[in-house]
Amino acid sequence: MVDAARQPLIQVKAFTEVEKVEGFVGNFKVTLREKAKYVRADRCNGCAACAKVCPVEVPNAFEMNLAPRKAAYIPMSQSVPLIYNIDMDACIHCYKCVEACGALEAIDFSMEDKLVEEEIGAIIVATGFSHFDPSVMSEYGFGRFPNVITAMEMERINNSAGPTHGALIRPSDGKTPKNLAFINCVGSRDKRYISSCSNFCCMYSIKNAILAKQMHPDTEITVYYIDIRTPSKGYEEFYDRAREMGIRFVQGRPAMITENPDTHNLTVHGEDAMLGQVIAREYDMVMLNQAAIPQPDQNHMSSVLNVAQSPGGWFMEYHPKLRPIDSPTDGIFFAGACQGPKDIPASVAQGSAAAARASRILHSPQWQIEPTVAVVWPEKCLSAQGKACGMCERACPYGAVDYKQGVAPTIITAKCHGCGGCVGECPTDTITQLHYTDAQILSQIRTLLATEPEKKILALRCHWCSYGGADLAGTSHFEYSANERGIKVMCSARMDSDFIYEAYRLGAGAVLFSGCHQQDCHYITGQLVGAKRAARLQGMFERMGMSPGRFRVEWISAAEGDKYARVINEMQASLDELGPEKLHDEIERMRPEMAKRITKLPNIPHVQQAFNRADNFQTIMLHEVKAK
Amino acid sequence: MTEKSIEITSQEPINEKDLRIGVYVCHCGSNIAGVIPPGEVVEFAGKLPGVAHAAETMYACADSGQRLIKDDIKKYGLNRVVVSACSVRMHEPTFRACVAEAGLNPFLMEMANIREQCTWAHGHDREGALEKAKDLTASAISKVSFLQPLDMIKVPVSKKALVIGGGVAGINAALDLAEQNIPVVLVEKEATIGGVMAQLNKTFPTMDCSI
Repeated sequence: MVDAARQPLIQVKAFTEVEKVEGFVGNFKVTLREKAKYVRADRCNGCAACAKVCPVEVPNAFEMNLAPRKAAYIPMSQSVPLIYNIDMDACIHCYKCVEACGALEAIDFSMEDKLVEEEIGAIIVATGFSHFDPSVMSEYGFGRFPNVITAMEMERINNSAGPTHGALIRPSDGKTPKNLAFINCVGSRDKRYISSCSNFCCMYSIKNAILAKQMHPDTEITVYYIDIRTPSKGYEEFYDRAREMGIRFVQGRPAMITENPDTHNLTVHGEDAMLGQVIAREYDMVMLNQAAIPQPDQNHMSSVLNVAQSPGGWFMEYHPKLRPIDSPTDGIFFAGACQGPKDIPASVAQGSAAAARASRILHSPQWQIEPTVAVVWPEKCLSAQGKACGMCERACPYGAVDYKQGVAPTIITAKCHGCGGCVGECPTDTITQLHYTDAQILSQIRTLLATEPEKKILALRCHWCSYGGADLAGTSHFEYSANERGIKVMCSARMDSDFIYEAYRLGAGAVLFSGCHQQDCHYITGQLVGAKRAARLQGMFERMGMSPGRFRVEWISAAEGDKYARVINEMQASLDELGPEKLHDEIERMRPEMAKRITKLPNIPHVQQAFNRADNFQTIMLHEVKAK
Repeated sequence: MTEKSIEITSQEPINEKDLRIGVYVCHCGSNIAGVIPPGEVVEFAGKLPGVAHAAETMYACADSGQRLIKDDIKKYGLNRVVVSACSVRMHEPTFRACVAEAGLNPFLMEMANIREQCTWAHGHDREGALEKAKDLTASAISKVSFLQPLDMIKVPVSKKALVIGGGVAGINAALDLAEQNIPVVLVEKEATIGGVMAQLNKTFPTMDCSI
């Protein structure tokens, strides 16, 4: 901590939040909100004169509310930076602090939040985790029984710098407990709350048990557990040491804690799974090792940074094995428990790893980004023909379309992130996207539907989420209908209506339109552009009498492999239910209408060539099927 | 930042008769070959127009697999490559680099995902999986016929990092960057850095102090 403050190249900004992140790798523009501390950082010398005279006392959250602090405060004596704050919610405006500060004149009640902008090349997200509140588990009596405390409270009680100066005492009477219990997996590995394991709590409870035993060797200590997990170096030995010290380990998560209201002693009821016996044992004090959970503002941060969340709410990495440090957004990396519960060695290691990943970019004078950007064929533009349009400009989340009425738009390449939203929206197909041109995608559609189209489910998926969801379905071996045929584009905004008309004209059994959830969109509002178009298409197909299930719109994240498999299987079930004859009739009935909507496709550059080539493919593919 | 747009330079796709596509169907050990016979996909791909050479490979991503592709590019004068193997999220960078080493523009390589999105998802429908693998390979071949060589866009880099969160991970990341002479803004929403770590007493398994 102190090293960070001392390092001249690190600017520590406490009491500061990230308000907005714009831009892209190498060129992020970040807006920070420096919250008003009401103490001027350039004048405060940390002398504590203000806190001494402050008459207001409120619970100190740093001490888990076990000790008070003043309204003029620092959370702990080793705070970095060592600058006092005035807690305006608690302050009674007596101004004694101003008087005490005297000639230093560090206290300034006129301070306001300040927004500052920073030009940033790479971002490391290390926002950490929060703790499960065990008071929702009424069976353990936390909040009702004074001697049931959390592990974090135990940390402060055990701590020589904490509220009891390290004396292990119980809250009800201040006596040293003679008989202590620790309960693991409080909230974690519990289908009612958090089904996953919190990773470090086994070790953490063993540590607290050892510390208590070292301090008071006569104290009886029992740890209740489901499994003890000690997977890292030196951890199993640490567990052995606890057992050698005489700490008892009982397998079985307790069902209930009751309290003797006279003594405030507690009885833990449960089952000793090893002995197969129902047990009820009395303790002076019980510690709950609560689950690690995402930060309360994790959803908010996820949308500020435009990074997705795994099920459970943690930030999601680009690839769990190959790129575990990278977010899906180039130039943004994760460190520590914001990505999932991690202990200290793992968090430190990941901090270094994230720094190494970021320094690849920060040490480069230039960084390379994919050239899958939008480009314009100006001839067909409505605006250039004097008609009002501007659809491209409205679809762009980045202001990369330079649109002026009367001329064709230009794309500012450095601002274009390559979602393809303007391409999908353009009514005259004036704009295309490199590497995802209409000719390229239409040739894929024709090829995938070359044989037995009525059997097939054409799935349009976005690169970042739904394609990843389909990958995860496979990785998890969630099986789904092999009639699915996938096409990848960068964003659902690129999923042109023409692709879908063409698919149905070719006789596709069903079409899936699938992208990310709105809050996960890699292109800020790209998904909104796609969703709007999909809703329009859905309404139209309904009016045309298309059977339900033949056009599905689903938002599937890269973490939702099960959902991807389920959606495809449901679509297959709808086709099965409809039956081949009815399906065939419906396709034939709608075909002329579909054909009418795409008469202009061959005018798009290269599309006629793509169609011709796809026809050659089809001849061969049909011949293959026949031969079989 | 350059405020200009890319001109469409080479507008016309390559002439069909000039296409020389190489197709590589990966076994991925038994991950793919355990469900479908890759040889059948190769045989099918070899019949499609523009395909100059089609081959199967035990592990396309292995050094031997990549060497095969690179040698073939020279041997058969390939100007487009299709790799039917795993997810683009897994190995697209690998194969782009591979073809680039043989002198081909990396954007002239296209992958067909016949592992995650085929054999792994249809392990109990071998026939369906084989049909799908053929279709996905054909689809990649049709797309690659229309691909244009592209150059990566170069952007400048602001030499400054933002670390959000002053816990043990964030502090360590900030220190590592600063020691490499990179300026860092370390942002913490609370009044002090340190995070949960600063609240802890001793830490396991060495029992040293947390601050």
